[in-house]
Parts: sequence; C-alpha cells; structure tokens
Amino acid sequence: MTENKSNGIKIKTVNLSFYYNRRQVLKEISVEFPERSISAIVGPSGQGKSTFLMIFNRLWETIPDARMEGEAFIRLKNKWVNIYDRSISLPELRRSAGMVFQTPNPLPMSIFKNISFPLKLSGETEKQSVEEKVESALKQAFLWDEVKDRLTDDARSLSGGQQQRLCIARALTLDPEILLLDEPTSFLDAKSGRIIEDLLLNLKERCTILLISHYMDQIRRIADRVMELPASDS
Amino acid sequence: MKERLIEIFIKSFAWLSGLLLLSAAFVIVGFLLVKGVPTLSLSLIFGDTSPADALLLRRQVLIGLFPAMAGTCLLVLLAVGLATPVGLAAGIYLAEYSRGNLKSFFSLFYDILSGIPSIVIGLFGFSLAISLHHYVKEIYPCLLISALALAFLVLPYLIRTTQFAMESIPSEIRLTAPALGATKLQNIAYVLFPRSLPGIASGVILAVGRCAEDTAVIMLTGVVAAAGIPGSLLSAYEALPFYIYYISSQYRDAYELQTGYGAAVILLIICACLFLAAFYLKNQLMNRMLYRQ
Repeated sequence: MTENKSNGIKIKTVNLSFYYNRRQVLKEISVEFPERSISAIVGPSGQGKSTFLMIFNRLWETIPDARMEGEAFIRLKNKWVNIYDRSISLPELRRSAGMVFQTPNPLPMSIFKNISFPLKLSGETEKQSVEEKVESALKQAFLWDEVKDRLTDDARSLSGGQQQRLCIARALTLDPEILLLDEPTSFLDAKSGRIIEDLLLNLKERCTILLISHYMDQIRRIADRVMELPASDS
Repeated sequence: MKERLIEIFIKSFAWLSGLLLLSAAFVIVGFLLVKGVPTLSLSLIFGDTSPADALLLRRQVLIGLFPAMAGTCLLVLLAVGLATPVGLAAGIYLAEYSRGNLKSFFSLFYDILSGIPSIVIGLFGFSLAISLHHYVKEIYPCLLISALALAFLVLPYLIRTTQFAMESIPSEIRLTAPALGATKLQNIAYVLFPRSLPGIASGVILAVGRCAEDTAVIMLTGVVAAAGIPGSLLSAYEALPFYIYYISSQYRDAYELQTGYGAAVILLIICACLFLAAFYLKNQLMNRMLYRQ
C-alpha cells in the first residue's frame, strides 16, 4: 500500500471478511481511505474487487448467499457512522455513495429521465430545481454541450463513452460524498476513457472517489493512492 | 463426414417441422376464410333488424350473430379484467418477494392450477352458482360466474408470464435503481415492471385468446343458445364459440352450417382486434412510464 497524500480519513473498514456461500473472497481487510482523493483498487480478477466496492453502498445485500463479517465506517456530514448499523436508511446511504458500473447502464428512458431519476426516487418534484440539478450534473460530467438539445432522446442512443458519462452524471445528481467506480473505462476507447479521467480529476475536489482499475497508466495519471487487494486463500 | 450428415439431417428436420406448422396454420385459416367469408354479411350479424337499431339496443336481434358477438366481447373483457390485476400481483410476488421453500410450493401450486382441465373448472363454476343460489335467489349460472371461472382458468398464464418477464431482467438493470437509492417498491414500479410490460402483454394476449375460444367452461356456467344481449352481470348470454359448437352439431340445413363458418371468421376477427388493443395499450403504457417527461 502506498500513500502520496495525507488527508482526513473518509472511509475505513475493520477486519472485513466476505463470503459467497462458503467461498471466502475478502479476508480480514482493515483499510482507510482519505477524503477528497482518488484511491485506486487493484488486484487480479475474481479477487472480489467489485464486491469490495459494494460493501460501501451495501448493494451486495441483494445477492443471495452472500455474507459479510467485520465493520465499515464512512464519515458522512462530518460524523462517523457505522454503515451496517440498524439505524442506517439504505436509500439514504446509497444516495450519499453513488456507484458507476463497468458496463454503462442507462435505464431505457430519455436522457432527462435518466438523470432526474434519483431525484424522483428521493421525492423531489419541483420542476425548476429538478431541471437545474440535471443541468449541473450533466455539466460536471462534461456531457451538457453534447446532449442539451436532445434531452428527450432515448439514453441508449448515445455512444458508449457518452453513456458512461451519463451514468456518472446520474450518480452526481444527488451530490454524493463518495463515488464508487467499477472499471468505468474498460469498455471505452482511449479517447472516451481520457475524458472520464479528466472529469474524475475535476470531481475529487468535492467527492471521495474509489476506483477499480486494470490500467497501470490510468492509475499513474489520476490516482492519489493505490490499494492492492490481497489474494485470499479460498 | 458422419457428423456433417447428422447436422444436415437435424437442420432439415428443424426446417421441415417449422414449415409443417406454418402450412397447417395457413390451411386452417385458409379453409375458414374460403368457407366463411362468402357468408359474411350484415344480415348474418343483424338478421332482419336494422344495424343502427341493434347497436343502440333499441331492438333485439333474433336470428343474427350480434348477441353472440357482444356476449363474447363482454365475457373476454370481464374475465381478463378480473384476472389481470390478480395475475400481475401474484407474478410480481413470485419473482420479487417469495424465496426458498415457499416459492417452490407456490410454483408447484400454479403448475397444478394450469393443468386443471377447463371442463373441471366449468363444473366448479356451476357448483359455485348452485350453492350461491341457496343464499341469493337471483344468482343462476350467468355472465359473472362464467367470467370468474374463466379468470381462474387463465390466471396461471398471467402469473407465469409476469414472473418470467420480471426474472429475466438482467442484473445490471436490476441493480441500477437500488444503487441510486431506490427502495424495493420503487425499483419494481419504475424499472422492473415497465421493463416487463412486453412479456406481460404476451401473457394477456394468451389469456384473451383462451377466454375467447373456451367452450367447456361457459357451457356449464351460463351460456345459452338464444339469450339476446345480456342485460346485467347476472343474466345469461350468448357466445360465439358456443354458437359454433351448437350449430355444427345441430344444424338443420346447409345455410345454418355456413353461418357456423361465418361465426368462426368473426371470432378470429374479434380476437385479432383484442390482440391489437392489447399491443396498443402496452405501447402507450411503456411510453408514458419510460419516455414522457
């Protein structure tokens, strides 16, 4: 584990282990991630990198036969919270920790509806503020100029790189404190990938970013810190 | 070389099977059209009553097919209308909420339900009407009892197609909304259900076809040869499949047999119209749920 910058700590895990059925994929991981930085997570495929990311928005709980041991904490609104505490509201946690997947996953709706979808989920209906938030999210994701005239088009008509930026914009609409990215550029060509790298560098001023990546040059370009997920004996 | 021959054989067998089915369908529909279309006329439908009077229910149609057409349409709409909400809810429950043993128990139960012969369901409807008659004197075998029995008959199709459509949504899409803070109910309402609509629509279409063609159930639960347009849910009614069945076994002259073919063509046309309506409804719903701002 290497550290380039020291900052306030945003995320930490304590003795975290994870199992699918009886197969152990993560073994007693205790790690801390500083805020307002990009932390890259590396390791061979099939070692539970995606699972590790899903610890922080508890998305793994939808997977049958998965089990976690240990604890995970996030400093939300400047207060340390155990995100596996009973008092935690799952939708609220997932709004504070946005996630972007490896394959762009726009919903089969218009561009506007995709971006405003999280607002609809959280019950925000005031038209003017929804429109403002959609515009600001699209600008942060470097997509506004390309789509501002075609917001009612089907989101699936965008190119791969645009779709991925759409997904980033969608995760940004709720102003999350953490952004979890699972190999966001692996299906994109080099140029689209570089645009996403630039926008991530721009975002780290306001978000703590955890990024899974396979590309060493990408990590060298944008990551402040690299965490290698230790191989687990299964 | 041997493997190549086997491959050619299987390929041609598959082709032949497909072709056979297609030509069988063409022959049946063609036969019906050749026999039935020449008999189609306003007098076949309305007899000697003027169409305007018949449509506005000012005068009874005594010898035309109009009451049977109206009866079939009402029956299908009522039965599918009753079965659809229940079927969708049960399908969603099976796909999204039930787990483990309970799920396998329900699945087995619905499979058994879909295997019950329609004549048994008809008998059950008949018994229901008789036992209800003990308490409420107005209840005889009637439109409502038929619709309930038919709804019961098509419920398994609706449940299974809904469940299958929901379960076959890929996991990336399934996880999208929860990752953005959606509750389970929000995920179902905004993403999973709209995505399943095409599958669900095909279930509804199957149900419509089944309700429109069924004769065994309605024969025991309220259809009669000459009842006119049903006045209420509790009155007897006429239906096209029953008319076809009745006329083909009891016809007195060549003309009456011809009207049977005519009735079959009209039944096909009504089914086609109901299918189109279901498709239109599906497209409108998807559009409203997914694209409109």
